[in-house]
Amino acid sequence: MSALLHLSGVGKDYAKLDDNAGRLRLVFDLLRGRGASQVFHALDEVSFDLAAGESLGIIGENGAGKSTLLKIVAGVITPTRGVVESRGRVGALLELGSGFHPEYSGIANISLAAALLGLSRTEIAAKRDEIIAFADIGEHIHDPIKHYSSGMVVRLGFAVATALTPDILITDEVLAVGDESFQKKCVAWMEGYLAGGGTLLLCSHSMYHIQKLCRAALWLKDGRVERYGAAAEVTQAYLAYHEEKSAGAKQPIATPRAAAAGVYAIQSLRLDPPATLPCGGALTIAGEVFSPDGRAPVVLLGLIRADGTPVYGVATDMDGVLPTRIGANRFTFSLTFPRLPLLPGKYLVRAHALDPEGVRLFDNVEMPLVIEGATREMGLVRIDHGWTGQVADSDDDSTDGADPS
Amino acid sequence: MRSSRAFPSERSAEHPAAGRASLARHRALFANFFHRELFSRYLGSITGLAWAFVHPLALLAVYHFVFTTIFRAGPMDGKSFLLFVAVALWPWLAAQEALQRGTVSIASYAGLIRKVAFRHELVVYASVAATLTLQFAGYLVVLVVLALFGEPVHFEGLLLAVPLWLVLAIGVTGLALALAALQVFVKDIEHILMPVLMILMYLTPILYPLSLVPDSMKPWVAANPFGYLVGRLRDALLDGRLGLMWGDALAVVVALALFTAGRWVFLRLSPHFEDFV
Repeated sequence: MSALLHLSGVGKDYAKLDDNAGRLRLVFDLLRGRGASQVFHALDEVSFDLAAGESLGIIGENGAGKSTLLKIVAGVITPTRGVVESRGRVGALLELGSGFHPEYSGIANISLAAALLGLSRTEIAAKRDEIIAFADIGEHIHDPIKHYSSGMVVRLGFAVATALTPDILITDEVLAVGDESFQKKCVAWMEGYLAGGGTLLLCSHSMYHIQKLCRAALWLKDGRVERYGAAAEVTQAYLAYHEEKSAGAKQPIATPRAAAAGVYAIQSLRLDPPATLPCGGALTIAGEVFSPDGRAPVVLLGLIRADGTPVYGVATDMDGVLPTRIGANRFTFSLTFPRLPLLPGKYLVRAHALDPEGVRLFDNVEMPLVIEGATREMGLVRIDHGWTGQVADSDDDSTDGADPS
Repeated sequence: MRSSRAFPSERSAEHPAAGRASLARHRALFANFFHRELFSRYLGSITGLAWAFVHPLALLAVYHFVFTTIFRAGPMDGKSFLLFVAVALWPWLAAQEALQRGTVSIASYAGLIRKVAFRHELVVYASVAATLTLQFAGYLVVLVVLALFGEPVHFEGLLLAVPLWLVLAIGVTGLALALAALQVFVKDIEHILMPVLMILMYLTPILYPLSLVPDSMKPWVAANPFGYLVGRLRDALLDGRLGLMWGDALAVVVALALFTAGRWVFLRLSPHFEDFV
């Protein structure tokens, strides 16, 4: 497969400057062909290949280096290290409308923007009507851009950028601006573009759009590649990371510990299969519980999403079950979910030991659980469902999770 | 790979002519920038481009009033003082404006530089070219008006004056490239430039002939390449002398050297503009 875009070991440093003397020193360093002495690594060791007709989503937090990476691919900035090879025409759509001159009419700005995108005058003239039709802003096309609403600017910008039908289209949060109908138009255009063999590099905070439009995803964290792979897998890992992050440090994952004297306590907790489970698979939670007075304690088991949202909880006494005695003060418990309907993501399994009356809660032990699978369903759990209608003939990858391959 | 997606191997085959395409692209972009520089400068004003011609004539009237009426300056080097000054002052004003506009040109394209990949030097070229074009047109208007008022202008001298302006343009472009690149990093450049140009103007034989400079200082004043161009413009337009001199070749070499050096500075610094504009 021929790589249309090849990045290897790409890094970008930005000079750290504190005063004007530093600026002068930087100028001299640059003129002598050296880099800045004090730098901040905005991007480091980024490598990927993008074959013709593929689509890659870039995700990451603000400041992770996403825009820097897109700008490097677009050729707006030169990388400090590494190799960028791109074949074919690169069309970049970094913040729509930024290349427009506010005093000029829409028509005049089409000429400027198209010239920037690499169209010659004759090509511009040929494409002008097509652009005006796509932008669909009527007579306003003859008004200066400064009188446009932001939505109109966005429409015009998208129309200009897409008229070129670039070999690689690079976009940065395009879908975050514009009204609902314009977003739909954009997504429809991009789907058509991809279906026609176009190559897309999309940067978005919308996992929905990444999963819908991209086959692969690259997660940038602090300028480095945190994860790179199938879009579903990477976006899930990214979402799980955010869920954990928003849950905060206030709930560190507790580990089984020896029973403190005189309290009911979970002494061990294990999952089968350990740690990861395919979506819809069977999960068994088992462990040992300590009872200071030899009476059978109540065990409460719960599933919590990584951000702290409770999903499901059930206790032995609710179902009228007692833990199995294996010693004077020791009991075991085991709970099986034959088809756990949790959607892919990161979760916690939480176990509590309660007194035999099921009133006082003594212990709290947690274990992480990752549910894997390729699905674009939303929410926490898969709810049984059935559609009425015809089966679409597109082999879109929103397949059911029963076949996560 | 999705089966519905055609494998687009034929798409990538259409780019061996990328070099020619990029030249066409640079030309289209330069034309656009040039047009933008030329017209955006006057777009907001009522008189528009006409102002470009009113301005030099108004200046000429003021100089006439100050030097001929107030100072009663007599003929300079045997030439009419007004013509003597006008022939030299316009190229200077043109160079000065081109340098000043060129120096700050990058900043006014900051939005583009941060978002779009293109040759940054085109901005400086467009800025300098637009300024010099307008100023040269003004220069012609001034010469015509002076001739109408009976000044002995040798219009055949334009055969030499036009190439001299081109030499001036090459040198000024080189300087503007270096200044524009430095200005991105060190914002003081534009503020230092104004007084420096003012001082240089008086050190250049524009308002006076080289022959009036004391012998001890003459080599220094004569070493000024701009002063040389001014002298040659006077030869051409005041005396109608069109013969080439060895110094002309040197002037071309100096202009090309300035251009090469300025462009070298610019290309060294321009990859880092995005972070500083």
